[in-house]
Amino acid sequence: MIASAARLIRRWYSIPLLLLVWQAVAGTGLVESRLLPSPVQVGSVLFAEIANGELVYHAAVTVARALTGFALAAIVGIPFAAAMARSAVWRNLFEPIFLLGYPVPKIALFPVFTYIFGIGAPSKIAFTFLECLYPIVVTCLLAFRGIQTRLIWTAQNFGAGRAAVLRRVILPAALPSIFAAFRIALPVAMVVVVLTEMIGDSIGLGYYITIWSTRFSFSNVYAAIVTIGLCGFALDQGLLLVRRRAVYWQREAS
Amino acid sequence: MRIRPALLLNWTLPVLTLVAWEAFGRLGLLPRYLSVPSEIAAAFWEIALSGELWVALAASLWRVSAGFALGTAAGVAVGLGAGRVPAVRRFFDPLVSFLFPIPKIAFLPVVLLLFGLGHASKISIIAFSVFFPVFVAARHAVLSINPLLVWAARNMGAPPRTVFFRVVIPAAAPELFAGIRIGLAHAFIVLFAAELIGSKAGLANLISYGEEWVRFDLMFAGIVCFAALGFVADRILMAVRRRVLRGQLIGTEEQPA
Repeated sequence: MIASAARLIRRWYSIPLLLLVWQAVAGTGLVESRLLPSPVQVGSVLFAEIANGELVYHAAVTVARALTGFALAAIVGIPFAAAMARSAVWRNLFEPIFLLGYPVPKIALFPVFTYIFGIGAPSKIAFTFLECLYPIVVTCLLAFRGIQTRLIWTAQNFGAGRAAVLRRVILPAALPSIFAAFRIALPVAMVVVVLTEMIGDSIGLGYYITIWSTRFSFSNVYAAIVTIGLCGFALDQGLLLVRRRAVYWQREAS
Repeated sequence: MRIRPALLLNWTLPVLTLVAWEAFGRLGLLPRYLSVPSEIAAAFWEIALSGELWVALAASLWRVSAGFALGTAAGVAVGLGAGRVPAVRRFFDPLVSFLFPIPKIAFLPVVLLLFGLGHASKISIIAFSVFFPVFVAARHAVLSINPLLVWAARNMGAPPRTVFFRVVIPAAAPELFAGIRIGLAHAFIVLFAAELIGSKAGLANLISYGEEWVRFDLMFAGIVCFAALGFVADRILMAVRRRVLRGQLIGTEEQPA
């Protein structure tokens, strides 16, 4: 009991320590208190804004946008990668776009997206889709390509048709990598949505941060940052939960 | 010389897109905000001659390179430290696991107020964003080194310094580069957002000026330039990686033996 408590402290002490230092620094008044509100202030704002539903609403908007863009990218990206792995024509057509386009900072295109899709949710979702599509297609392409051909040959030898090979061999073999791609793409989706909301919107956590920083209420800004962190954590844990169900034969290596 | 059909297919979509873009634009079938490629090239030439492009490029380049260098240096140093020293690891692990999933751009308002609209605010927010992926990669790289390598070096009488510089760092290098590459991608995303939200110079400003002046050709010229900057930076990093890791890549997918 005491030993486990000591282990817990040894493992996590730095967060409370930093909070204490922060509280102490804020308490001395050395730093402008509006710029660096104490953790207690931030905490009380956080609870108040969660209780009155304000942060919950904006977080729901942000998460819904992130998940929509992410899901669209997954639905389009995985079959796309499979097609590129199977057909040489598709691969030669699209490989340069994905492999050479991968390191290009696509964020620069966001202004064009706002012209095409308007300033609201559609441009954010479309842009999130684009940003998620790249890691999903590239990671899944490598995964599909890496499937050992003898697995497929074995299945064919046993008389499995194309559909059976796809469902019983290729998909399970690629599933761990598909989830690895999801774990890269999902945080990207959160980053992109918050960022584009900060550039211009009237709802969402990114908007919340911008509006409260122009009102010089940094307690609200920090409360929103904590909320973003919680949302990101929840999304990642949710993904791991799904992964454990789907890839039950292999445990994640982290 | 025969042209390989694969190469032909590789170029099909990009060339087709450009040609169709130009053709539809000339026919007036595209909305006004989609300037055609020839106009974009002309606008590019215009700002290159007037010098606007170089001023903006210099500002963005300085911010991204300084921020990236600081963030990478800090990430590598602390990450290697966390990988080697349990006390350092225990201190940073909880903090990083809490801060890592937060988009660092969310701190931009705070950083802007602290450091103003100039270079310092962009450099610090970029460094802050680059730090995390590099730290995580460095920490994980050191921890997953085969202990036999370290034991063997020690057994042959290597002092800790030699073990660190001659065994640990080379063994961690491939994964380090993976983290640094992610950091570089983050650096450009943050650079763009930071310049767009609060700045008076840089490529993202050039892009938003193009929007404000309804000079969409200028906007696209800025976009192309920003995209090219990110692409070239990644290529340079990959070239450095190949140079540093020469010998280690033999027998892998990149350099089949």
